[in-house]
Amino acid sequence: MPNAILDPTGTTAKATARAAPRAPRPASLRGKRVGLLINTKRNARPFLTELGRLLRESYDVTLTERTKVNFAVPEPEDVIKDLAAEADVIVTGVGDCGSCSAAAAADGVVFEAAGLPVAVIVTDSFRATADAMAELRGAPGFGYATTAHPVAVLTEDQVKQRAAEVLDDVVALLTS
Amino acid sequence: MIDTERIEALATSLATDGYHLEVTERGSRVSAVITAGPEACEDCLVPKDFMRGILANALGADGEEIDITYPADNSEGN
Repeated sequence: MPNAILDPTGTTAKATARAAPRAPRPASLRGKRVGLLINTKRNARPFLTELGRLLRESYDVTLTERTKVNFAVPEPEDVIKDLAAEADVIVTGVGDCGSCSAAAAADGVVFEAAGLPVAVIVTDSFRATADAMAELRGAPGFGYATTAHPVAVLTEDQVKQRAAEVLDDVVALLTS
Repeated sequence: MIDTERIEALATSLATDGYHLEVTERGSRVSAVITAGPEACEDCLVPKDFMRGILANALGADGEEIDITYPADNSEGN
């Protein structure tokens, strides 16, 4: 397994010298195990729960959920390993603030290095922050599924609508 | 030289969380001052070490050459 540990602070620009690996993609999600890594931002759980429901409905996936310890920082390595052992692909989010978008991007880079395709969901306002963190972690050009900011204030029905809107992008990110 | 486009993109993201970013060059060093507006989301600002890395990449500079001031630094009188 590639070593996913990079300079956690990125104190020097040299931290980006080695490109982070990208996991191979399955041709389809049918029958795959999908890990949902839910940050604790408002509406992240119903957003990913609905997205998981749609994936199960469309691709007969099985779902595993984990909740981030702290939305503002990258997830501890043991949590990443646990989820990686129980899933074939990962969906994480929702990054609708600076710290949670950066942390989601950092988590995504680690999952990819661990061999798991990942779909990181961020709001459009924080794409730049997520890009900056991904580049810092050696993954320039990292792909995201984006939805309009904000998510936190949406109603239950609006959250479901947003989840449906990113479904195709999430599938595209996770498959070849 | 400061990549204004990248810095402006970061500043726009920070502004969404209620923060203002000002980046200035001071000789061989770069100063990045982040101030909080009245509606700033306290938990939404990345830890300073991560911000240092992000800015170092955006600026193409060594992180040690960037002086970062966070809102908490000002409130503590630093």
